[in-house]
Amino acid sequence: MTSIHVFDPALCCSTGVCGVEVDQQLVGFAADVDWAKQNGADIERFNLAQTPLAFAENAVVKAFLERSGADALPLILVDGEVALAGRYPNRTELARWAAISVAEEQAPSGCCSGSSCC
Amino acid sequence: MNSDSKFLDQAPRFLFFTGKGGVGKTSIACASAMQLADAGRRVLLVSTDPASNVGQVFGIAIGNQITAIPAVPCLAALEIDPQAAAQAYRDRIVGPVRGVLPDSIVKGIEEQLSGACTTEIAAFDEFTALLTDSALTTGYDHIVFDTAPTGHTIRLLQLPGAWSGFLEQGKGDASCLGPLAGLEKQRSQYKAAVEALADPQRSRLILVARAQQSTLREVARTHEELNAIGLSQQFLAINGILPESATLQDPLANAIYQREQHALSDMPAALKNLPMDRIELKPFNLVGLTALRQLLSTAAPLAMPDNDVMPAIPAPNLSTLVDEIAADGHGLVMLMGKGGVGKTTLAAALAVELARRGLPVHLTTSDPASNLTDTLNGALPDLTVSKIDPHAETERYRQHVLATKGAKLDEAGRAMLEEDLRSPCTEEIAVFQAFSRIIREAGKKFVVMDTAPTGHTLLLLDSTGAYHREVSRQMGDSKQHFTTPMMQLQDPRQTKVLIVTLAETTPVLEAAHLQDDLRRAGIEPWAWVINNSVAATTVLSPLLRQRAVNELPEIDAVANRYAQRYALVPLLREEPTGVERLLALADGDSLADKLAANPKTQ
Repeated sequence: MTSIHVFDPALCCSTGVCGVEVDQQLVGFAADVDWAKQNGADIERFNLAQTPLAFAENAVVKAFLERSGADALPLILVDGEVALAGRYPNRTELARWAAISVAEEQAPSGCCSGSSCC
Repeated sequence: MNSDSKFLDQAPRFLFFTGKGGVGKTSIACASAMQLADAGRRVLLVSTDPASNVGQVFGIAIGNQITAIPAVPCLAALEIDPQAAAQAYRDRIVGPVRGVLPDSIVKGIEEQLSGACTTEIAAFDEFTALLTDSALTTGYDHIVFDTAPTGHTIRLLQLPGAWSGFLEQGKGDASCLGPLAGLEKQRSQYKAAVEALADPQRSRLILVARAQQSTLREVARTHEELNAIGLSQQFLAINGILPESATLQDPLANAIYQREQHALSDMPAALKNLPMDRIELKPFNLVGLTALRQLLSTAAPLAMPDNDVMPAIPAPNLSTLVDEIAADGHGLVMLMGKGGVGKTTLAAALAVELARRGLPVHLTTSDPASNLTDTLNGALPDLTVSKIDPHAETERYRQHVLATKGAKLDEAGRAMLEEDLRSPCTEEIAVFQAFSRIIREAGKKFVVMDTAPTGHTLLLLDSTGAYHREVSRQMGDSKQHFTTPMMQLQDPRQTKVLIVTLAETTPVLEAAHLQDDLRRAGIEPWAWVINNSVAATTVLSPLLRQRAVNELPEIDAVANRYAQRYALVPLLREEPTGVERLLALADGDSLADKLAANPKTQ
């Protein structure tokens, strides 16, 4: 199965509520990861502040940090290769990587399901 | 067993003493442990006081291992240093990547792990094993702790969501429990520890307070918070009460006595139903076995009365600090320190003294209960006063986050987000956001604040860049040159941070920690203010003289070790409300003289 590894920046809470502005992306991404896991995806998250060794031991991630610094995180590896950097994937991207059929989840990328109020 | 003290009567296995720094938790815990041991029970005393003098009290080096106390049969003790525990934890996480990942990144990680939460949870981790049945503790009838975990920590550990990923697998969504990532115990152990805490058959919580209104209000909040999560066995111990016998012929002692009695009769309703003990102020230092054995006894002998007068010690007063502050013509003045040290009063005194000199001042306070600042509005032409209610600001912030960012979370996710939003950091951020709107005024006038964010919070906000973006947004996207609040706070010409403390061991140590924390953020505290000093007054009462003598080494430490400059503010007979009394507060020397010369003005 495809494995997705997410390397988060140093966060004291993964919801990011400690920041001045709660990062909507983080809150949304946490929910998307949950959803993907429930659909059988193999996703792991690593927080720089909590498991820095995972960053140091992975040559790709280590090189990325040396080149671009911690500000360039998050970094997403799919089967060990860089799939995305600098932002979190949306639900559609997660679904594609993990080969989850999106047909059963109507309009996963819309922020309000079914309506056009956005 | 029977005891003079209600909180020791039929004591359960675990006793926790909780209260803010300087109220005497460690002394009472020591005395309680001794009393139980003297009655033949086998007792383990656990101190987490960073200023722990348990070893000194018993005349033996203790440290981070269970050590028998030879002078007291049946008693053993253990000292846990929460700062050391947190450091050991940081080393476990950061050590392996030091020199492997870029230095700037390693530094950022360390800062993430330098907050109060990490220290709190690392300390809790240290004594988890003592709360669960283990070989370590089977030999003891009682385990006495001079601390208790906060409601926030206990609630986090109680949330089923908290355990879903992180603690079981060492990965996943960590929330504020993030710091537990590097801890090595199993879920079952933390769970058992929390259950032991909440079991009234096994655990008793003793709230330790002083007879002061603000302290009692704070204790009432702790009581309600811990009661709500199941710690129902609670007792109240009021420490250091001035006995009526000490008030003879000493107007200051008499005023303190009246104020304390008033605070006690007026205590929050939530506390009135708790079993309560009153522990009188003792005329001796709580060092040595004899002294400790007398702490909890109701009939302590008073020191021999003598009629010497101890004159106020000479030290710079608040007014000398104001001279220097005023010279700049404008700027931000922030007072920092633990709750109850008198930040609001001193902020008001500084503001009034600046305004009296004809300088424009905006005083803003985070103490909504303060009627001190109510009376100041409009009292002086150059003075404006505003208030920020921390609870209202925090609640507004929480509701905003939950309604917007938390809208799509499932129940477990929402519960975690809600608890994260109850962390001390959240309140600090919400309040500071409210304050930062006012900070910008400091370019033109004086802004005096009775609160400030910790260095840790500033560093986190700054390192994420979120702060910078926030400021840019507030500045309306202009391409103009601007300084961030962080830069403003680091610049001594724009910002002066005053650390407020009391002339007592633990408060001075806590203030020194604050100073270290600010220095990490590149902020050098400009001055220290020692408030409510008895040594700065002229005292007759032998009891108060003893207190004044005890203050001297602490004042010396502030003056010569910690502070660039400092001021000493005397303990007053009455709460300084109104312009006149606040002005007198700034001018400490002459006030003390006035009180000594004319005691009947009260």
